[in-house]
Amino acid sequence: MRMKWRIITCLIFILMVGLVLPIKVLAHGAKIEYTVNMTIEIVATYDNGEPMAGAQFVVYAPDDPSTPWLTGVCDDEGRFSFTPDTSKPGTWDIQVRQAGHGDIVYIPIGEDMVVTGGTGGYTAIQIILMAACFIWGSVGTALYFSRRRRA
Amino acid sequence: MHIPDGILPVPVTAAGYAATAAVTWYSVRKINKKENPRQDIPKASILTAAFFVVSWIHIPVPPTSVHLVLNGLLGAILGYFAFPAILIGLFFQAVMFQHGGLTTLGVNAMIMGLPSLIAYFIFRLRKFGDKESRWKTGVFGFLSGAIALAISVAMFLVILLTNIPADLDVGTERAAIYTLAIAYLPLIAIEGFITSLLVVFLQRVRPRILDGV
Repeated sequence: MRMKWRIITCLIFILMVGLVLPIKVLAHGAKIEYTVNMTIEIVATYDNGEPMAGAQFVVYAPDDPSTPWLTGVCDDEGRFSFTPDTSKPGTWDIQVRQAGHGDIVYIPIGEDMVVTGGTGGYTAIQIILMAACFIWGSVGTALYFSRRRRA
Repeated sequence: MHIPDGILPVPVTAAGYAATAAVTWYSVRKINKKENPRQDIPKASILTAAFFVVSWIHIPVPPTSVHLVLNGLLGAILGYFAFPAILIGLFFQAVMFQHGGLTTLGVNAMIMGLPSLIAYFIFRLRKFGDKESRWKTGVFGFLSGAIALAISVAMFLVILLTNIPADLDVGTERAAIYTLAIAYLPLIAIEGFITSLLVVFLQRVRPRILDGV
């Protein structure tokens, strides 16, 4: 009789351990992994706002700025996007060029990352103001040299 | 027409600067030999401003758009003042609007400035023959404006075609350059017409402006 109870207790214990242990193993095994699939979208336009449709682009990775990492052609709206290799932190150079017109943008990828950026570009008011200053300078020069000499 | 920074290799931009320095020196020497070198500064100054502003007037020529250059007009009216005037205009366009670039300033000055001197020589040909007539002024005005721009387009084309970097697809870039060059063809006629109109107008209302050249 005693023997019988011992076996039953033993079985219950084994059963309990069997039930509890796997749960404990699962709890210890939890882990979170993540990857950021960063895509960089480039929009290239001429200074009059027209898209650089069909312009060629060349992407240079930071570890080798002389060999193209990726080349291709912009779509009709002057756009293209690519996913940089995040294992290469540093400044990525992207050149867009068509018929001798074009520009280079430098995108830092890594710790000092910026979300948006671009090159050049003034607002219309700034442009008008600068042009007006230049014209006034020219007119002033013209007036100065065309004044009549007094005897 | 304005080649921006980062398009041309360094030896080409350096050669552009060297050539520009030589032509500027030659132009200034010629100006100094005039009886009164200061006399033409007012009209040079005004036309520099016109050259500076006119690159913002875009004329749509599908599939692209081009802008007026007026280098032939500057050559016809300014003579040897045209080259320094264009150089100054290009410098301010590059600094203020990133239109062109500082490294390519020499190359751009050659592309637009050298044909303007050729335009001056063409416009001077009107004085040959019996007498100056309005008709002759108009024809030579047209020729100076059109030929100057045609030479500019040709120089622009040759410089770009010989400097396509190996990283680009050469065929695509070459096709894009030809497309742009074709877009400039109607502009050659337009500039010739504008130059012709303006010199005929000046000869009628203030012929002294054209006296110096």
